[in-house]
Amino acid sequence: MKTLIWAAAASLSLLAPAMAQDHSHHQHHSQPPQAAEPMAEHSVYQLQGQWTTQLGQSLALRDLQGQPAIVTLFYGSCTTACPVLVNDVKRLYQLLDPQLQQQVRLVMVSLDSERDTPEVMRAYTENYGLDNDRWLFLHGNDADIRGLATVLGVRYRKRDDGNFDHSNLVTVLDREGRVSFRVEGLAQPMEKAAAHLNAL
Amino acid sequence: MKWLGIGLCAVAFAAPLMGAAEPVKIPGGLFDTPVLLDSDTPSIAVETFWLDATPVTNHQFLTFVQAQPDWQRGNIAALFHDGSYLSHWPADTVITEQQHDAPVTYVSWFAARAYCEAQGGRLPTLNEWEYASVLYRQQQGLTDEDYARQLFAWYSNPGASQQQPVAADAQQLAHMHGRINEWVEDFQLLIQSGDEVDVLSGSCGDSARFLAKFNQANYATFFRYQSRSDYAAQNTTSTLGFRCAYDQRNEP
Repeated sequence: MKTLIWAAAASLSLLAPAMAQDHSHHQHHSQPPQAAEPMAEHSVYQLQGQWTTQLGQSLALRDLQGQPAIVTLFYGSCTTACPVLVNDVKRLYQLLDPQLQQQVRLVMVSLDSERDTPEVMRAYTENYGLDNDRWLFLHGNDADIRGLATVLGVRYRKRDDGNFDHSNLVTVLDREGRVSFRVEGLAQPMEKAAAHLNAL
Repeated sequence: MKWLGIGLCAVAFAAPLMGAAEPVKIPGGLFDTPVLLDSDTPSIAVETFWLDATPVTNHQFLTFVQAQPDWQRGNIAALFHDGSYLSHWPADTVITEQQHDAPVTYVSWFAARAYCEAQGGRLPTLNEWEYASVLYRQQQGLTDEDYARQLFAWYSNPGASQQQPVAADAQQLAHMHGRINEWVEDFQLLIQSGDEVDVLSGSCGDSARFLAKFNQANYATFFRYQSRSDYAAQNTTSTLGFRCAYDQRNEP
Protein backbone atom coordinates (compact mmCIF):
# COMPACT_ATOMS: atom_id res chain seq x y z
CA MET A 1 0.00 0.00 0.00
CA LYS A 2 2.91 2.29 0.62
CA THR A 3 3.27 3.42 -2.96
CA LEU A 4 -0.33 4.47 -3.23
CA ILE A 5 -0.29 6.24 0.11
CA TRP A 6 2.78 8.26 -0.69
CA ALA A 7 1.67 8.98 -4.23
CA ALA A 8 -1.54 10.39 -2.76
CA ALA A 9 0.38 12.30 -0.13
CA ALA A 10 2.66 13.76 -2.79
CA SER A 11 -0.34 14.85 -4.86
CA LEU A 12 -1.88 16.42 -1.80
CA SER A 13 1.22 18.45 -1.15
CA LEU A 14 0.91 19.86 -4.66
CA LEU A 15 -2.73 20.70 -4.09
CA ALA A 16 -2.33 22.08 -0.60
CA PRO A 17 -1.67 25.68 -1.68
CA ALA A 18 -4.82 25.71 -3.81
CA MET A 19 -6.87 24.36 -0.93
CA ALA A 20 -5.43 26.93 1.44
CA GLN A 21 -6.61 29.58 -0.95
CA ASP A 22 -10.06 28.09 -1.52
CA HIS A 23 -10.85 27.19 2.07
CA SER A 24 -8.39 29.14 4.12
CA HIS A 25 -10.69 29.13 7.12
CA HIS A 26 -10.39 25.34 7.22
CA GLN A 27 -6.64 25.29 7.51
CA HIS A 28 -4.68 25.18 10.74
CA HIS A 29 -1.60 27.09 9.83
CA SER A 30 0.16 26.29 13.08
CA GLN A 31 0.09 22.56 12.31
CA PRO A 32 2.28 20.74 9.83
CA PRO A 33 0.63 20.31 6.43
CA GLN A 34 -1.63 17.28 6.09
CA ALA A 35 0.53 16.09 3.22
CA ALA A 36 3.02 14.80 5.77
CA GLU A 37 0.44 12.30 7.03
CA PRO A 38 0.23 8.91 5.31
CA MET A 39 -3.32 8.04 4.29
CA ALA A 40 -5.18 5.53 6.44
CA GLU A 41 -5.70 2.07 4.95
CA HIS A 42 -9.49 2.40 5.04
CA SER A 43 -9.66 6.03 4.00
CA VAL A 44 -12.30 6.77 1.40
CA TYR A 45 -9.99 9.56 0.28
CA GLN A 46 -7.85 7.01 -1.52
CA LEU A 47 -10.43 7.09 -4.31
CA GLN A 48 -9.08 8.89 -7.33
CA GLY A 49 -11.16 11.39 -9.30
CA GLN A 50 -11.66 15.09 -9.82
CA TRP A 51 -14.80 16.79 -8.59
CA THR A 52 -16.08 20.32 -9.11
CA THR A 53 -17.74 22.33 -6.35
CA GLN A 54 -20.78 24.58 -6.72
CA LEU A 55 -18.31 27.46 -6.91
CA GLY A 56 -16.55 25.88 -9.88
CA GLN A 57 -13.46 24.87 -7.90
CA SER A 58 -11.72 21.60 -8.62
CA LEU A 59 -11.45 19.17 -5.73
CA ALA A 60 -10.03 15.69 -5.06
CA LEU A 61 -11.49 13.76 -2.14
CA ARG A 62 -8.09 13.70 -0.44
CA ASP A 63 -8.34 17.49 -0.18
CA LEU A 64 -10.98 16.90 2.51
CA GLN A 65 -8.48 15.17 4.78
CA GLY A 66 -7.85 16.81 8.12
CA GLN A 67 -11.38 17.58 9.31
CA PRO A 68 -14.46 15.42 9.76
CA ALA A 69 -16.94 15.41 6.91
CA ILE A 70 -20.60 14.52 6.58
CA VAL A 71 -21.11 13.01 3.13
CA THR A 72 -24.47 12.43 1.47
CA LEU A 73 -25.37 11.37 -2.08
CA PHE A 74 -28.44 12.97 -3.60
CA TYR A 75 -29.55 14.66 -6.80
CA GLY A 76 -30.83 18.16 -7.39
CA SER A 77 -34.04 17.56 -9.30
CA CYS A 78 -35.23 15.09 -6.70
CA THR A 79 -38.13 16.70 -4.92
CA THR A 80 -39.05 13.93 -2.49
CA ALA A 81 -36.23 12.33 -0.50
CA CYS A 82 -33.42 14.74 -1.34
CA PRO A 83 -34.62 17.92 0.38
CA VAL A 84 -35.20 15.72 3.43
CA LEU A 85 -31.59 14.49 3.17
CA VAL A 86 -30.30 18.07 3.04
CA ASN A 87 -32.42 18.88 6.07
CA ASP A 88 -31.10 15.77 7.87
CA VAL A 89 -27.54 16.99 7.37
CA LYS A 90 -28.56 20.45 8.58
CA ARG A 91 -30.14 18.95 11.71
CA LEU A 92 -26.98 16.96 12.41
CA TYR A 93 -24.83 20.05 11.92
CA GLN A 94 -26.94 22.06 14.37
CA LEU A 95 -26.32 19.45 17.08
CA LEU A 96 -22.52 19.77 16.80
CA ASP A 97 -20.26 21.64 19.22
CA PRO A 98 -19.67 25.22 17.99
CA GLN A 99 -15.97 24.54 17.49
CA LEU A 100 -16.69 21.48 15.37
CA GLN A 101 -19.25 23.43 13.38
CA GLN A 102 -16.38 25.64 12.28
CA GLN A 103 -14.42 22.64 11.02
CA VAL A 104 -16.76 20.02 9.63
CA ARG A 105 -17.43 19.87 5.91
CA LEU A 106 -20.97 19.18 4.73
CA VAL A 107 -20.45 17.35 1.45
CA MET A 108 -23.38 16.69 -0.88
CA VAL A 109 -22.41 14.58 -3.88
CA SER A 110 -24.78 14.56 -6.84
CA LEU A 111 -25.70 11.25 -8.48
CA ASP A 112 -26.80 13.19 -11.56
CA SER A 113 -23.68 14.11 -13.56
CA GLU A 114 -25.81 15.23 -16.49
CA ARG A 115 -28.15 17.74 -14.90
CA ASP A 116 -26.41 18.79 -11.69
CA THR A 117 -23.73 21.03 -13.13
CA PRO A 118 -21.80 23.27 -10.73
CA GLU A 119 -24.05 26.16 -11.83
CA VAL A 120 -27.18 24.17 -11.02
CA MET A 121 -25.68 23.19 -7.66
CA ARG A 122 -24.89 26.82 -6.90
CA ALA A 123 -28.47 27.78 -7.66
CA TYR A 124 -29.54 24.93 -5.38
CA THR A 125 -27.55 26.25 -2.41
CA GLU A 126 -28.95 29.71 -3.02
CA ASN A 127 -32.53 28.41 -3.21
CA TYR A 128 -32.13 26.55 0.04
CA GLY A 129 -30.14 29.32 1.73
CA LEU A 130 -27.09 27.11 2.32
CA ASP A 131 -23.76 28.69 3.22
CA ASN A 132 -21.30 28.17 0.35
CA ASP A 133 -18.40 28.24 2.84
CA ARG A 134 -19.84 25.38 4.85
CA TRP A 135 -21.47 23.20 2.20
CA LEU A 136 -19.68 21.52 -0.67
CA PHE A 137 -21.92 20.37 -3.50
CA LEU A 138 -19.86 18.14 -5.74
CA HIS A 139 -20.26 17.35 -9.42
CA GLY A 140 -18.25 14.43 -10.82
CA ASN A 141 -18.23 11.88 -13.62
CA ASP A 142 -20.34 8.73 -13.54
CA ALA A 143 -17.46 6.37 -12.77
CA ASP A 144 -16.25 8.45 -9.81
CA ILE A 145 -19.80 8.80 -8.49
CA ARG A 146 -20.27 5.03 -8.71
CA GLY A 147 -16.95 4.44 -6.95
CA LEU A 148 -17.74 6.76 -4.05
CA ALA A 149 -21.32 5.51 -3.70
CA THR A 150 -20.15 1.90 -3.63
CA VAL A 151 -17.48 2.58 -1.01
CA LEU A 152 -20.05 4.31 1.19
CA GLY A 153 -22.70 1.65 0.61
CA VAL A 154 -25.14 3.82 -1.31
CA ARG A 155 -27.07 1.91 -3.96
CA TYR A 156 -28.61 3.81 -6.85
CA ARG A 157 -29.97 3.29 -10.31
CA LYS A 158 -30.79 5.80 -13.00
CA ARG A 159 -34.32 5.40 -14.24
CA ASP A 160 -35.49 5.83 -17.82
CA ASP A 161 -37.04 9.21 -16.98
CA GLY A 162 -33.66 10.56 -15.84
CA ASN A 163 -34.47 10.34 -12.14
CA PHE A 164 -32.69 8.06 -9.70
CA ASP A 165 -33.68 5.36 -7.29
CA HIS A 166 -31.24 5.57 -4.40
CA SER A 167 -30.78 4.47 -0.84
CA ASN A 168 -30.78 7.25 1.73
CA LEU A 169 -27.63 7.41 3.77
CA VAL A 170 -25.80 10.10 5.73
CA THR A 171 -22.16 9.11 6.32
CA VAL A 172 -19.76 10.58 8.87
CA LEU A 173 -16.10 10.43 7.85
CA ASP A 174 -13.40 10.97 10.42
CA ARG A 175 -10.43 13.28 9.88
CA GLU A 176 -8.64 10.57 7.91
CA GLY A 177 -11.63 9.92 5.68
CA ARG A 178 -12.65 6.63 7.28
CA VAL A 179 -16.35 5.80 7.55
CA SER A 180 -17.03 6.20 11.24
CA PHE A 181 -20.82 6.51 11.51
CA ARG A 182 -23.77 5.94 9.21
CA VAL A 183 -27.38 7.08 9.46
CA GLU A 184 -29.62 5.03 7.20
CA GLY A 185 -33.07 6.19 6.15
CA LEU A 186 -34.79 9.54 5.98
CA ALA A 187 -35.57 11.91 8.85
CA GLN A 188 -33.80 9.75 11.41
CA PRO A 189 -32.79 10.98 14.88
CA MET A 190 -29.34 12.60 14.66
CA GLU A 191 -28.35 12.68 18.34
CA LYS A 192 -26.13 9.57 18.17
CA ALA A 193 -24.38 10.75 15.04
CA ALA A 194 -23.81 14.16 16.64
CA ALA A 195 -22.42 12.61 19.83
CA HIS A 196 -20.11 10.48 17.70
CA LEU A 197 -18.89 13.48 15.72
CA ASN A 198 -18.41 15.61 18.84
CA ALA A 199 -16.23 12.85 20.30
CA LEU A 200 -14.01 12.48 17.22
CA MET B 1 -37.19 -15.91 -24.22
CA LYS B 2 -37.53 -13.20 -26.80
CA TRP B 3 -34.65 -13.04 -29.27
CA LEU B 4 -32.73 -9.84 -29.76
CA GLY B 5 -33.74 -7.95 -32.85
CA ILE B 6 -30.36 -8.43 -34.50
CA GLY B 7 -28.87 -11.12 -36.66
CA LEU B 8 -25.62 -12.87 -35.92
CA CYS B 9 -24.24 -11.61 -39.21
CA ALA B 10 -24.31 -8.10 -37.78
CA VAL B 11 -21.58 -8.94 -35.32
CA ALA B 12 -18.18 -7.69 -36.43
CA PHE B 13 -15.11 -9.39 -35.06
CA ALA B 14 -11.69 -7.95 -34.52
CA ALA B 15 -8.59 -9.92 -35.45
CA PRO B 16 -7.26 -11.80 -32.42
CA LEU B 17 -3.89 -10.95 -30.92
CA MET B 18 -1.47 -13.69 -30.00
CA GLY B 19 -2.48 -15.16 -26.68
CA ALA B 20 -5.47 -12.98 -25.95
CA ALA B 21 -8.90 -12.78 -27.48
CA GLU B 22 -9.86 -9.34 -28.79
CA PRO B 23 -13.02 -7.57 -27.69
CA VAL B 24 -16.05 -8.22 -29.86
CA LYS B 25 -18.59 -5.69 -31.04
CA ILE B 26 -21.99 -5.95 -29.42
CA PRO B 27 -24.41 -4.12 -31.73
CA GLY B 28 -26.86 -1.90 -29.89
CA GLY B 29 -30.52 -2.76 -29.72
CA LEU B 30 -33.47 -3.17 -27.46
CA PHE B 31 -32.95 -5.41 -24.46
CA ASP B 32 -36.09 -7.10 -23.21
CA THR B 33 -35.00 -7.36 -19.63
CA PRO B 34 -35.83 -10.67 -17.97
CA VAL B 35 -35.84 -8.97 -14.58
CA LEU B 36 -38.09 -5.96 -14.25
CA LEU B 37 -36.42 -3.41 -12.02
CA ASP B 38 -38.88 -0.85 -13.37
CA SER B 39 -42.29 -2.41 -13.84
CA ASP B 40 -43.11 0.16 -16.52
CA THR B 41 -39.85 -0.31 -18.48
CA PRO B 42 -39.91 -3.79 -20.03
CA SER B 43 -37.27 -3.03 -22.63
CA ILE B 44 -34.11 -0.96 -22.44
CA ALA B 45 -32.13 0.60 -25.29
CA VAL B 46 -28.51 -0.56 -25.24
CA GLU B 47 -25.93 1.38 -27.26
CA THR B 48 -23.34 -0.42 -29.35
CA PHE B 49 -20.29 -1.34 -27.27
CA TRP B 50 -17.38 -3.77 -27.28
CA LEU B 51 -16.91 -6.55 -24.78
CA ASP B 52 -13.94 -8.82 -24.13
CA ALA B 53 -14.64 -12.15 -25.82
CA THR B 54 -13.44 -14.00 -22.74
CA PRO B 55 -13.05 -13.28 -19.06
CA VAL B 56 -9.75 -11.64 -18.09
CA THR B 57 -7.16 -14.33 -17.35
CA ASN B 58 -4.67 -14.66 -14.52
CA HIS B 59 -1.87 -13.94 -16.96
CA GLN B 60 -3.51 -10.75 -18.20
CA PHE B 61 -4.12 -9.64 -14.64
CA LEU B 62 -0.53 -10.47 -13.69
CA THR B 63 0.69 -8.18 -16.48
CA PHE B 64 -1.52 -5.43 -15.04
CA VAL B 65 -0.27 -5.74 -11.46
CA GLN B 66 3.32 -5.85 -12.67
CA ALA B 67 2.73 -2.49 -14.38
CA GLN B 68 0.71 -1.08 -11.46
CA PRO B 69 2.28 -2.35 -8.22
CA ASP B 70 -0.38 -0.58 -6.12
CA TRP B 71 -2.69 -3.40 -7.16
CA GLN B 72 -0.36 -6.19 -6.12
CA ARG B 73 -1.52 -8.43 -3.30
CA GLY B 74 0.97 -7.02 -0.83
CA ASN B 75 0.26 -3.40 -1.68
CA ILE B 76 -3.48 -3.08 -2.27
CA ALA B 77 -5.24 -0.76 0.20
CA ALA B 78 -7.49 -2.44 2.75
CA LEU B 79 -10.34 -0.28 1.45
CA PHE B 80 -10.30 -2.16 -1.86
CA HIS B 81 -10.48 -5.83 -0.83
CA ASP B 82 -11.58 -8.26 1.88
CA GLY B 83 -8.28 -9.93 2.71
CA SER B 84 -8.35 -12.73 0.13
CA TYR B 85 -7.34 -10.70 -2.91
CA LEU B 86 -5.38 -12.91 -5.35
CA SER B 87 -4.86 -15.35 -2.49
CA HIS B 88 -4.74 -18.27 -4.94
CA TRP B 89 -1.50 -17.01 -6.54
CA PRO B 90 1.72 -18.55 -5.17
CA ALA B 91 3.19 -15.06 -4.65
CA ASP B 92 2.40 -11.41 -5.36
CA THR B 93 3.56 -11.58 -8.98
CA VAL B 94 3.67 -15.32 -9.59
CA ILE B 95 1.03 -17.55 -11.13
CA THR B 96 1.14 -21.25 -11.87
CA GLU B 97 1.18 -22.70 -15.36
CA GLN B 98 -2.32 -24.04 -14.80
CA GLN B 99 -3.57 -20.59 -13.79
CA HIS B 100 -2.01 -18.85 -16.79
CA ASP B 101 -5.02 -18.90 -19.15
CA ALA B 102 -7.75 -19.49 -16.59
CA PRO B 103 -10.10 -16.62 -15.66
CA VAL B 104 -8.68 -14.50 -12.87
CA THR B 105 -10.71 -14.80 -9.67
CA TYR B 106 -10.22 -13.46 -6.14
CA VAL B 107 -10.46 -9.95 -7.53
CA SER B 108 -12.56 -7.21 -5.96
CA TRP B 109 -14.83 -4.87 -7.90
CA PHE B 110 -12.29 -2.08 -7.34
CA ALA B 111 -9.44 -4.13 -8.80
CA ALA B 112 -11.57 -5.19 -11.76
CA ARG B 113 -12.43 -1.56 -12.48
CA ALA B 114 -8.78 -0.51 -12.22
CA TYR B 115 -7.75 -3.25 -14.64
CA CYS B 116 -10.36 -2.23 -17.22
CA GLU B 117 -9.47 1.43 -16.86
CA ALA B 118 -5.83 0.56 -17.57
CA GLN B 119 -6.97 -1.11 -20.82
CA GLY B 120 -8.88 2.01 -21.86
CA GLY B 121 -12.15 0.33 -20.96
CA ARG B 122 -14.52 -0.08 -18.06
CA LEU B 123 -16.68 -2.75 -16.49
CA PRO B 124 -19.85 -3.41 -18.49
CA THR B 125 -23.06 -2.19 -16.97
CA LEU B 126 -25.48 -4.82 -15.72
CA ASN B 127 -27.75 -4.23 -18.70
CA GLU B 128 -24.86 -4.44 -21.18
CA TRP B 129 -23.62 -7.71 -19.71
CA GLU B 130 -27.07 -9.27 -19.61
CA TYR B 131 -27.81 -8.07 -23.15
CA ALA B 132 -24.56 -9.70 -24.31
CA SER B 133 -25.58 -12.83 -22.44
CA VAL B 134 -28.75 -13.06 -24.53
CA LEU B 135 -26.64 -12.61 -27.68
CA TYR B 136 -24.33 -15.36 -26.47
CA ARG B 137 -27.25 -17.73 -25.99
CA GLN B 138 -28.26 -17.02 -29.59
CA GLN B 139 -24.75 -17.59 -30.89
CA GLN B 140 -24.42 -20.83 -28.98
CA GLY B 141 -27.86 -21.98 -30.06
CA LEU B 142 -28.77 -22.55 -26.43
CA THR B 143 -32.41 -23.33 -25.78
CA ASP B 144 -33.96 -21.76 -22.70
CA GLU B 145 -34.00 -25.16 -21.06
CA ASP B 146 -30.33 -25.90 -21.83
CA TYR B 147 -29.33 -22.45 -20.61
CA ALA B 148 -31.20 -22.86 -17.35
CA ARG B 149 -29.82 -26.38 -16.88
CA GLN B 150 -26.23 -25.20 -17.46
CA LEU B 151 -26.59 -22.28 -15.14
CA PHE B 152 -28.14 -24.27 -12.31
CA ALA B 153 -25.49 -26.97 -12.77
CA TRP B 154 -22.86 -24.28 -12.32
CA TYR B 155 -24.59 -22.78 -9.28
CA SER B 156 -24.68 -26.21 -7.65
CA ASN B 157 -20.89 -26.64 -8.08
CA PRO B 158 -19.41 -23.28 -9.09
CA GLY B 159 -15.82 -24.17 -8.23
CA ALA B 160 -15.56 -27.07 -10.64
CA SER B 161 -14.76 -25.27 -13.86
CA GLN B 162 -13.20 -21.89 -13.20
CA GLN B 163 -9.63 -23.10 -13.52
CA GLN B 164 -10.07 -24.34 -17.08
CA PRO B 165 -8.28 -22.19 -19.67
CA VAL B 166 -10.31 -19.74 -21.72
CA ALA B 167 -10.34 -19.89 -25.50
CA ALA B 168 -7.52 -17.43 -26.19
CA ASP B 169 -8.41 -17.24 -29.89
CA ALA B 170 -12.15 -16.74 -29.35
CA GLN B 171 -13.65 -14.64 -32.11
CA GLN B 172 -17.05 -14.39 -30.55
CA LEU B 173 -18.29 -14.24 -26.97
CA ALA B 174 -17.10 -17.18 -24.93
CA HIS B 175 -17.62 -18.50 -21.39
CA MET B 176 -20.42 -16.11 -20.49
CA HIS B 177 -21.96 -18.80 -18.29
CA GLY B 178 -20.54 -21.85 -16.64
CA ARG B 179 -17.06 -20.68 -15.65
CA ILE B 180 -17.29 -17.77 -13.26
CA ASN B 181 -19.68 -15.09 -12.16
CA GLU B 182 -18.60 -11.67 -13.45
CA TRP B 183 -18.47 -8.21 -11.92
CA VAL B 184 -20.50 -5.49 -13.58
CA GLU B 185 -20.33 -1.76 -12.89
CA ASP B 186 -23.72 -1.53 -11.18
CA PHE B 187 -23.98 -4.98 -9.61
CA GLN B 188 -26.06 -3.91 -6.63
CA LEU B 189 -29.79 -4.02 -7.16
CA LEU B 190 -32.19 -1.47 -5.83
CA ILE B 191 -35.90 -1.00 -6.10
CA GLN B 192 -37.38 2.15 -4.69
CA SER B 193 -40.99 2.87 -4.02
CA GLY B 194 -41.45 6.27 -2.45
CA ASP B 195 -39.24 6.33 0.63
CA GLU B 196 -39.08 2.56 0.81
CA VAL B 197 -35.96 0.88 -0.54
CA ASP B 198 -35.71 -2.79 -1.47
CA VAL B 199 -32.33 -4.30 -2.27
CA LEU B 200 -33.73 -7.65 -3.44
CA SER B 201 -31.55 -9.53 -1.02
CA GLY B 202 -33.22 -12.84 -1.40
CA SER B 203 -36.78 -13.09 -0.17
CA CYS B 204 -38.65 -15.99 -1.72
CA GLY B 205 -41.17 -13.70 -3.31
CA ASP B 206 -38.59 -11.69 -5.25
CA SER B 207 -38.41 -13.94 -8.26
CA ALA B 208 -42.13 -13.93 -8.80
CA ARG B 209 -42.33 -10.19 -8.30
CA PHE B 210 -39.62 -9.24 -10.76
CA LEU B 211 -39.58 -11.78 -13.56
CA ALA B 212 -40.91 -10.41 -16.82
CA LYS B 213 -42.20 -13.89 -17.50
CA PHE B 214 -41.89 -16.86 -15.23
CA ASN B 215 -39.89 -19.61 -16.91
CA GLN B 216 -36.77 -21.60 -16.11
CA ALA B 217 -34.43 -19.36 -18.10
CA ASN B 218 -35.60 -16.14 -16.46
CA TYR B 219 -35.48 -17.78 -13.07
CA ALA B 220 -31.87 -18.85 -13.68
CA THR B 221 -31.02 -15.34 -14.88
CA PHE B 222 -32.65 -13.76 -11.87
CA PHE B 223 -30.53 -16.00 -9.67
CA ARG B 224 -27.47 -14.39 -11.26
CA TYR B 225 -28.81 -10.86 -10.70
CA GLN B 226 -29.42 -11.68 -7.09
CA SER B 227 -26.18 -13.49 -6.30
CA ARG B 228 -24.18 -10.69 -7.91
CA SER B 229 -26.12 -8.11 -5.93
CA ASP B 230 -25.34 -9.82 -2.64
CA TYR B 231 -21.60 -9.20 -3.03
CA ALA B 232 -19.83 -6.27 -1.43
CA ALA B 233 -17.42 -4.40 -3.70
CA GLN B 234 -14.50 -5.58 -1.55
CA ASN B 235 -15.39 -9.28 -1.92
CA THR B 236 -12.92 -11.61 -3.57
CA THR B 237 -14.01 -15.20 -4.17
CA SER B 238 -12.94 -18.26 -6.14
CA THR B 239 -15.90 -17.92 -8.50
CA LEU B 240 -15.95 -14.20 -9.26
CA GLY B 241 -14.00 -12.62 -12.12
CA PHE B 242 -14.76 -10.12 -14.87
CA ARG B 243 -14.33 -8.97 -18.44
CA CYS B 244 -14.07 -5.39 -19.71
CA ALA B 245 -16.28 -3.28 -21.95
CA TYR B 246 -15.26 -0.46 -24.28
CA ASP B 247 -17.23 2.43 -25.75
CA GLN B 248 -15.04 2.66 -28.85
CA ARG B 249 -12.68 0.31 -30.65
CA ASN B 250 -10.99 0.59 -33.98
CA GLU B 251 -12.97 -1.31 -36.55
CA PRO B 252 -10.92 -4.11 -38.11
